Amino acid sequence: MNNLKFYISIFVLSIISIQVIGQELAELKKETSNIIVLKYMFNVGSMMDPVGKEGLTQLTASLIIDGGTEKYTKSEIDDLLYPMAGELGLTVDKEVTVFTFEVHVDFTENFYNIIKGLVFNPALSEKDFNRIKSNQLNYVDQIIKASSDEEYSKMALEDLLFRGTRYQHMVSGTSSGVNNITLDDVRNHFATYFTKDNLLIGIAGKYADSFKNKIVVDAAKLPSLTTELPEPPIIDMPDGISVEIVEKTNALGSAIYTGYPLNVTRSNDDFAALMVANSWLGEHRKSYGQLYQKIRDTRSMNYGDYSYIEWYRNGGRYQLPPPHVPRHSNYFSLWIRPVQIADQLQQQYPELNGINVGHAHFAIRLALREINRLLKNGLSQEDFELTRQFLRSYIKLYIQTPSQELGYLMDSRFYNRENYIEELDQLLATLTLEDVNSAIRKYLQIENMYVAIITDDSEADPLAQSLEKNNASPMSYSNLVREGLSLDVTNEDEEIANFTLNVKSVEIVDSKETFK
Amino acid sequence: MRAVIIVLLFLVMLSCTPENKEDQTSGKVFPFKIHQKSFPNDLNVVTVPYESPGIVSFYIVVRVGSREEVEEGKTGFAHFFEHMMFRGTDNYTREEYDAILKSIGASANANTWLDRTVYHMTGNAEMLDKMFEIESDRFFNLNYSLHGFKTEAGAVKGEYTKNYASPFMQLSEKTAATAFTEHTYEHTTMGLWEDVVDMPNQYEYSLQFFERFYRPEYSTILVVGDVTPEKVNSLAEKYFGNWERGNYVPEIPVEPEQMETRYAHVQNPNFPPFISLNFKSPAFNPERKDNAALEIISQILFSEKSDLHKKLVIDENIARNINSRYLYTRDPYLFSVGVSLKKAEDLTYVKEEILAAINNLKENGIDPQVLEDTKSHMKYAFATSLNSSSSIAQSLSYMIWVTGDPGALNSYYDQVDRLTIQDLQEIAKKYLVPEKLTISTISPAEEGGVS
Repeated sequence: MNNLKFYISIFVLSIISIQVIGQELAELKKETSNIIVLKYMFNVGSMMDPVGKEGLTQLTASLIIDGGTEKYTKSEIDDLLYPMAGELGLTVDKEVTVFTFEVHVDFTENFYNIIKGLVFNPALSEKDFNRIKSNQLNYVDQIIKASSDEEYSKMALEDLLFRGTRYQHMVSGTSSGVNNITLDDVRNHFATYFTKDNLLIGIAGKYADSFKNKIVVDAAKLPSLTTELPEPPIIDMPDGISVEIVEKTNALGSAIYTGYPLNVTRSNDDFAALMVANSWLGEHRKSYGQLYQKIRDTRSMNYGDYSYIEWYRNGGRYQLPPPHVPRHSNYFSLWIRPVQIADQLQQQYPELNGINVGHAHFAIRLALREINRLLKNGLSQEDFELTRQFLRSYIKLYIQTPSQELGYLMDSRFYNRENYIEELDQLLATLTLEDVNSAIRKYLQIENMYVAIITDDSEADPLAQSLEKNNASPMSYSNLVREGLSLDVTNEDEEIANFTLNVKSVEIVDSKETFK
Repeated sequence: MRAVIIVLLFLVMLSCTPENKEDQTSGKVFPFKIHQKSFPNDLNVVTVPYESPGIVSFYIVVRVGSREEVEEGKTGFAHFFEHMMFRGTDNYTREEYDAILKSIGASANANTWLDRTVYHMTGNAEMLDKMFEIESDRFFNLNYSLHGFKTEAGAVKGEYTKNYASPFMQLSEKTAATAFTEHTYEHTTMGLWEDVVDMPNQYEYSLQFFERFYRPEYSTILVVGDVTPEKVNSLAEKYFGNWERGNYVPEIPVEPEQMETRYAHVQNPNFPPFISLNFKSPAFNPERKDNAALEIISQILFSEKSDLHKKLVIDENIARNINSRYLYTRDPYLFSVGVSLKKAEDLTYVKEEILAAINNLKENGIDPQVLEDTKSHMKYAFATSLNSSSSIAQSLSYMIWVTGDPGALNSYYDQVDRLTIQDLQEIAKKYLVPEKLTISTISPAEEGGVS
């Protein structure tokens, strides 16, 4: 009898709590799973960083996940979680912050009792703050500029494309922004944005309903949001092609990232049509994209070349797109992985002694000319069918693990969809070739664009001049490759080398001056 | 004597003849049943049914990596050859191969490392037959042009170029070249820059490379997901049954015993100072306790749970992070611990602290509860990582390339279970010693300055 009372009270409590809080929950029960995944997605991202405090959201979220709680210090938490091998994850982007907690079902309750303190009662201590701030500053000042030029080029493009808006700065912030952040700033930011009505909770794996109800009730103890969330920026199309070359010492190649604002997201049904066109042009890390085939396969210029219709986090690492980077302000982009610079080509091949610019100008021309060809010719019925068939299978691989599936489900809500992957599959199933070609005409163009290039200081000036003057940029092959090229390729090279780009401005920036 | 050898050979052959092997799962860390079938041509076929509705992971593990690059001027070749496997066959051009791959709708790629090359695809289980067909086609009928070969070499150079931006890649090149003087682990899988630049001139060698290594005795087919072993074995028979065995066995140079601490350094004023201590460690052998003990030591001394992390990162806050890396390899390689620092002045202090932590283990042992917690950590971390067909295939493929047998996973965790504190002390005294050590540094100075 007592048990019955207990269950009734739990039942009533859960209904009441869900009704009273009005809190959102994304659920994905998997009875055969051996894990439980909890996610807390707050509508706060680097866009909410105050002016002069760029990097505050990242620092706040890092301090939550990598600090202590009111009950335990950081080291005590490490000790407690260690035997469980519990995993804590964090993703901060422009508009959302997601904490992910994952553990074996043997430890569900014990694990939750520790990690709930991180989200609801973080210590936000001075000691943890100093440690994490120092590391974040080091990332902005050194790591991003000296670890991967291609990741650097993506950040440089966002800095250029979103300039003057709250989307401009890296999620990790700027040098002066991070420097300015105080512990009080972090505490205020936490109190302002990490609130119960700014939160979507996700739960996946094997769990009891009573546990699910408990996490909802606990989250209801967070304070309410008292401030208005800012609107994401609306980005104007640039006038012509605007290039920023970042020069650094000892770069072996030129890393290129280009893009322009795109007025479509996963919310729009057009997105599926554009996805087919984009996949054909430059599917991420796939050899069947046109850009990859022409730049890497045919001409041996670099390691890979891809196009995107939304932000792709850490593309150098992931083959499949990870969740948790939903955005309202979107852009189209091209990723041209590092191509050779003149200095290196001269050293490797005596026959290229006379050149003064490497392959970057030619590569950009080739990529934009391919988009132009797509605009003019559209996709063929055969290419459309094959690409659609590919995508209808491929998108299901985005959600192979419970964490990925839950992540995509939660991102769906951001875009006002119930289940993006399922709905996308339906949209793809009913697409026609005309839908795709119409989306191509509506959203693709090559006249206006931002281009970011990270390159060696020996390459920056000659490349800038070549771009600015729209000089012909004949492809400089080594004799080894040149002797086997077909006439089709050399004829196309001739056209590419003289393909006019609508370049309106070119600036060279010293690497030391970026992200200040 | 000859008769003895013949009898032994017969026994070895007999031990191979039970074609089907099924590893039991009850109470094991790897919870899924592993079905293995050894074909007469020595091809091993492994199937692991797993609940991933409509999805299957198809892997081919070839036990050739930079370890097999024994000839002068051929560093990086195993990796380069992996690229060539995508360059067309007698039956399909590169473009046709791409179109078929695209129609499968899979996530497909390949990668190469010290001891292996892995070709993998994860996708629609209904397309498994097609996956087998196109994989067998390129393993049997690979055919690329001289021009295609030279062109692909540029892509490898592009890969080197992108990787070189990281000071860690520069340091790993130097560390390998310093720690090893004879064994092929002295160069990275990417290869030396001069060899990478020279790759377009190695067409004839590439044909020989294919003949040598792309053979059934070097290969294992591994399928995980929404499949049955019967289906996989029948497809393997159909598409790989006629694969002809080869006879090439490379002579891998034996690394002479290291007698004193060595040093490698990269000068970089624009990167956080870094120090790593790299001890020569034993080849992987799931029947011995050495590897399991070193992995446990790595966790206890250098993970976020460790006293050293609490001291250097959390309390004194002179280090940004501590990372330890212990890899399973076919031949003796390196047990590494690396620390990223705030100031280069602390490099020597941190080196001494790492050595002190190791010495403390050797002399005083550890709290028994810490050992139990670490065993628990390892087993639960592994269990929760097995959450998709591709992650399971990755775990199994690791065991396949180091031992040839995916079932070694459970043997390995049995070793972990049995370890005592005395074992850890004994193994630390055996391997974590100055004469097996290479110290690598990154700092603004011309030299590391930690000797």
